[in-house]
Amino acid sequence: MTKRQLREGLGLTALNLFFLALCFLTLIPILYALSVSFSGSNSLLSSDFSFIPRNFTLKNYQEVLFGENITVWFRNTVFLAIVTVFLSLLVAVPAAYCFSRRRFPGRKAILRCLVLLNSFPAILSMFAIYRLLRPMGLVNTRLGLVLVYTGTMAVFSLWNTKGYFDTIPTEIEEAARIDGATDTQIVLKIVMPLAKPSIVTTALQVLIYVWNEYIYATTFLTGESKYTLAAGLNALQATEMTGSWPVFAAAAITVSLPVLVIFFLCQKYMTSGLTAGGVKG
Amino acid sequence: MEKKKRREWIRSYVWSAPSLLLIGLMVVFPILYTFYISLTNMNVYHWFDFTLVGLDNYIRALFVFDSGFLSALLATILWTAVSMALQLVIAFVLANLLNIQKLRLRKLYKTILMFPWAMPGYVGILLWKTGMFNTQFGLLNQWLERLGFAAVRWLSSDVSAFLCCTVVNLWLALPFMIMIMDGALQSIDKSYYESAILDGAGAFARARYITIPAMRPIIAPAVIITVFTTFKQFDVVYLLTQQAGAKTGSGFHTILTYAYENAFITNNYGYSSAISMIIFGLLLLFSAKFQLKEDA
Amino acid sequence: MKRFFSLLLCAAMLLSLAACGSGGATGTDANKLVIWHDKEDAVISALSEYLSQAVPDLDIQFEKKTSLTDSLKLVGNDPSAAPDLFLFAHDKIGVFAEMGILAPIEPLLEEGTLEDFLPMTLQAAAYKDTLYQLPLYFETLLFMYNRRYMQDNEVPATTEELYSYMENNTGRGRYGFVEQHSTAYYSAAWIHGFGGSIIDSDGNPFPDAQAVQDALAYHLKFVRLMPGETEYNTVNTLFLEGKADATIGGPWMVPSAREAGIDLGIAPMPTVDETGLALAPYSGVQGVHVLKAAAEKKTAAVKELLGVLAKPEIGTSLALASGCAPANSACYEDSRVAEDTLVQAMRQTAEIAVPMPNIPEMDVMWTVVGNLLTDVNLSGKDIPSSFQGAKEQAESLIAGMR
Repeated sequence: MTKRQLREGLGLTALNLFFLALCFLTLIPILYALSVSFSGSNSLLSSDFSFIPRNFTLKNYQEVLFGENITVWFRNTVFLAIVTVFLSLLVAVPAAYCFSRRRFPGRKAILRCLVLLNSFPAILSMFAIYRLLRPMGLVNTRLGLVLVYTGTMAVFSLWNTKGYFDTIPTEIEEAARIDGATDTQIVLKIVMPLAKPSIVTTALQVLIYVWNEYIYATTFLTGESKYTLAAGLNALQATEMTGSWPVFAAAAITVSLPVLVIFFLCQKYMTSGLTAGGVKG
Repeated sequence: MEKKKRREWIRSYVWSAPSLLLIGLMVVFPILYTFYISLTNMNVYHWFDFTLVGLDNYIRALFVFDSGFLSALLATILWTAVSMALQLVIAFVLANLLNIQKLRLRKLYKTILMFPWAMPGYVGILLWKTGMFNTQFGLLNQWLERLGFAAVRWLSSDVSAFLCCTVVNLWLALPFMIMIMDGALQSIDKSYYESAILDGAGAFARARYITIPAMRPIIAPAVIITVFTTFKQFDVVYLLTQQAGAKTGSGFHTILTYAYENAFITNNYGYSSAISMIIFGLLLLFSAKFQLKEDA
Repeated sequence: MKRFFSLLLCAAMLLSLAACGSGGATGTDANKLVIWHDKEDAVISALSEYLSQAVPDLDIQFEKKTSLTDSLKLVGNDPSAAPDLFLFAHDKIGVFAEMGILAPIEPLLEEGTLEDFLPMTLQAAAYKDTLYQLPLYFETLLFMYNRRYMQDNEVPATTEELYSYMENNTGRGRYGFVEQHSTAYYSAAWIHGFGGSIIDSDGNPFPDAQAVQDALAYHLKFVRLMPGETEYNTVNTLFLEGKADATIGGPWMVPSAREAGIDLGIAPMPTVDETGLALAPYSGVQGVHVLKAAAEKKTAAVKELLGVLAKPEIGTSLALASGCAPANSACYEDSRVAEDTLVQAMRQTAEIAVPMPNIPEMDVMWTVVGNLLTDVNLSGKDIPSSFQGAKEQAESLIAGMR
């Protein structure tokens, strides 16, 4: 073992220790929730708190998994999430490609306006959106929610993908165009694979937004059979008079896990085709 | 040539239309509608039969912009600056460390670090407020007491409430920023680094002359959007310190929590809309100024 | 280009299919009544059990809404999204009545239905002399103590006795007495004990300024012997873990106290030495409100439902199921209700309790008083200037409502 290898090994160990510590630090509040979710007594607080609960029980998870309409909510959420992510990319990618590659009147102005739209405090937007959906008969429908979610995330999706497209060299596209490829083919076969990291991050951000959004869902959907996971979770939230904190904690953790699994699985798609393909800029 | 150009234009508009249409409906329409409502007397007493009252609401709204509003505005600017600086630096360092080639467990670390992002924000804030900061039972004070220190009222004074809110905001916002930066790092051609190392460039020089310039255009959209979200932050500050029935005694307000307490709770929708529009205007001014600086 | 459009078309079809799949069930069945609520499961299951027997021909659906009031403001007069009735406390009646989404209750009831109802509950349910709620039960705060630490003969009759008990029993992580000292709902009892009030029936904030300031000043010495948190989780956990001997809490505390194995005592509220008045908490009257659209379109069903909800049977079963104090005085003839200590204590407290104001102006007072209390109790600001600030804030907010 050379001195250099030793130094590298030490550095790597230190790095691993650092990340382990960081992960633990990040997880403290979540471990807290985990401990509450396994606890037999209905309290969010305890004077002798420990990360391993004293009267350990699985009944809160049982209640979450079998007691509530969680399978229905899960199906609703997955449906909403898939449709919204798909629709978001479907509208954002072509638009982003145009804004990145083409020059047309109004392009700069629109881009600038899109930035400024973020300044609006949307705290009162609920009313406006309600007034918009109602005449279209979209209140209390999933289509309505999909449109609200896609629209809310559209600025981000468009912008985030456009930012990445800007960094992709145009030479390959030009070569493909000379070979007779259409715009659609170029976007689908060349640009999207090269922009995988930004496509995946955009999709993930939309997915997580839909997964966790509860304000529109609880307001625009009536009937617990239509709820999403986040809306159902919000209804489980304990108050001073009703509810159970351990069940809420168990539900919160259960609801978060699928997102983490998806994130874990998506990571391999987050490496760019750019480096893999060895394209020089 | 001219004809071809025009056809290109039309094609660009058609391709962008679905996205812009949705933005128009869900983002622009609410702004216009809020503006319209701000000109009416829509309140509890005229909920459905409101009429146009002109600029009355704006005239009254100016009274809300007193010294309390000014200090909330200053606090919000400070809050945004501190939060963004910390977020960018920490996320940059972590994203770079996570990209060290030999780090085998990278995927696991990344996934765990994403956890705060995977649950609804209010759940995380609640966990921090009761689990961590609670004076009687919070973990922080339990640990302090075990070490022999006196309990601290974390959320009750302005400065410590500000710091606690910043920590929680970082906890909530870092995962997204790390992910964006991680994605951006993937776009940088590794061969740049190889030649830079051959030229004898150190880690800082590489970060400064290769990584940061290459990342900038990619992360800019996400960063700018985060700046706005931070400026308009409501949940973190409200739920941690200002929630009705669970106030902690801190006087730290962002413009939105201040506007909430001094206008939105009146159920006067016309008046509240006017306040929203004024805040919108203020932010537009800020961003215009910011953009000028960027251009220069 | 073509491919893109065909994709878009596919998506549109998929979406419309999805919309049809979920939007189909919005028929207006004259016998179907949707009731929004925010209540505990025990109350709702007692209600649905009773209703399935009393009105088998009606299809009653209870739906729990966490943001009930906000949702109602949005959809209140849109029958396609709004419920037909909602079960909620009486304190938002003014807001919803002014908005014009509530139907007066009396035309929907048979003559004489309300004769047996406790006057306090009817007073709470009326706004501008019109009844907008059919009261079901009410709740008040109660003085509760843990018999293991506070003996029955130690229960304070006056606030000074309470104070000396606190002085002797507070310290080393233990508390003689805890309450949510800086929230408006709890502190109202102290303000009333000094003859003051938060708002009068005409919407004037703090009609007796001196009484409020005296109450704040007197209350402060109690606050100093309580934890620096006012939020309910902390206060309730202290009591439930046996770290606080006594507390002021609502009936919802009782099941968790029994579960925690506490030998729970309930006593009348102590009297303020200086004024001779008891600490008089707010009372909340829970009942059903009818939305205008439902009253017009489903009149028969609504009448039938209200008719059976006004009967003493349901009050009795609610009292037995979850210790609610029924609004119908006939329920107290049932010996099981009459002997329930919790129900009895609330009925007694109801004699002095003040129904929460139900005028729209009260909506902003919760925040104003909360701010005032935290300023005085938690931030240590001085009382006269904090009070002045609160009064000004209240006046400007109330003016801002119009």
